[in-house]
Amino acid sequence: MTSVNGAVPTTIIVAGLALAGYALLMTALNRRMGLGLLVGLGVLEVLLLVLIGLVVARLVDGGRPPSTVTLIGYLIAMPLVPIVAGFWGAVERSRWGPAVIAVAGLVAAVLMVRLHEIWAVIHV
Amino acid sequence: MSEPAASPHAAPAPPESAPPESAPPESTRTGPGRLLVAVYALFALSASARAAVQIATQFHRAPVAYLLSAFAAVVYILATVTLVNGSPTARRIAIWSCSVELAGVLAIGTWSLVDRATFPDATVWSGYGSGYGFVPLVLPVFGLLWLRYWAKRTRSERTAAPSAGDAEAGDARADPGTLATGPGLSEINVRAAAGSPASPGRAAGAAEPAD
Repeated sequence: MTSVNGAVPTTIIVAGLALAGYALLMTALNRRMGLGLLVGLGVLEVLLLVLIGLVVARLVDGGRPPSTVTLIGYLIAMPLVPIVAGFWGAVERSRWGPAVIAVAGLVAAVLMVRLHEIWAVIHV
Repeated sequence: MSEPAASPHAAPAPPESAPPESAPPESTRTGPGRLLVAVYALFALSASARAAVQIATQFHRAPVAYLLSAFAAVVYILATVTLVNGSPTARRIAIWSCSVELAGVLAIGTWSLVDRATFPDATVWSGYGSGYGFVPLVLPVFGLLWLRYWAKRTRSERTAAPSAGDAEAGDARADPGTLATGPGLSEINVRAAAGSPASPGRAAGAAEPAD
């Protein structure tokens, strides 16, 4: 019907939490930002863009959430999370770079829950 | 998911020849501060966006809650900017913002639990930030600890200054921001001034690279 495929948000939650776990491990091991975390961020970014595509398609179809402004705000801010975190984490040449990436992973997971609250058709 | 093969790559990619000592100068935004600034920026953005939407679209519904949201947003923005800046004056403002933030989350947290009618819609600080995983409650504590670490660090650098050279002491006196950082600091400023009568230190202090 008019619901967004729940597989993508669920994958984003899993991917975000996995990335956060991996990043926190790097922090615990006193490692700086590396290729592994950048690849993880890239995967997260692609997943977020796919989800944005699905949600926008639903909007184009004529669906409207209770607060369209809020949804649009989320759609704009969401893809920036991995990019900004990647930049901010990469300039830090210590264990705290990966810690920033961990925040991005957690935020991505939390955003999925918030998206569902904003618009129930976005299933988790 | 997080491919185990990638972990060996984590370190060697950047030029390992560069020791940590040659990294850019430390500040309140580097090291643990990097994480702190990231979380503060996140809250600054989300709180201000949320407050803007709430005030613009449904202000009449819960004016007190929405105005408090906007106030919280301003405090978060101020803390983010001052932590990124990291100058003595900025750190002083950051201490104020973190303190206001801590007081705010405790006061609004209690108020929202006692008087639910005033808060039909949640603010960042409602229920001690329970809607945000209690991060709003923990964040100012870490912020203040981080700023205290920096105050101590600056203080020990200043106390070491007279023996290391008058340039540092002159620099400390020339900096208006440090004078009011705390009672301990101003005391040391006086001591540093008394212990280093050599006024040429001020001329040398001007050449001192800005920290």
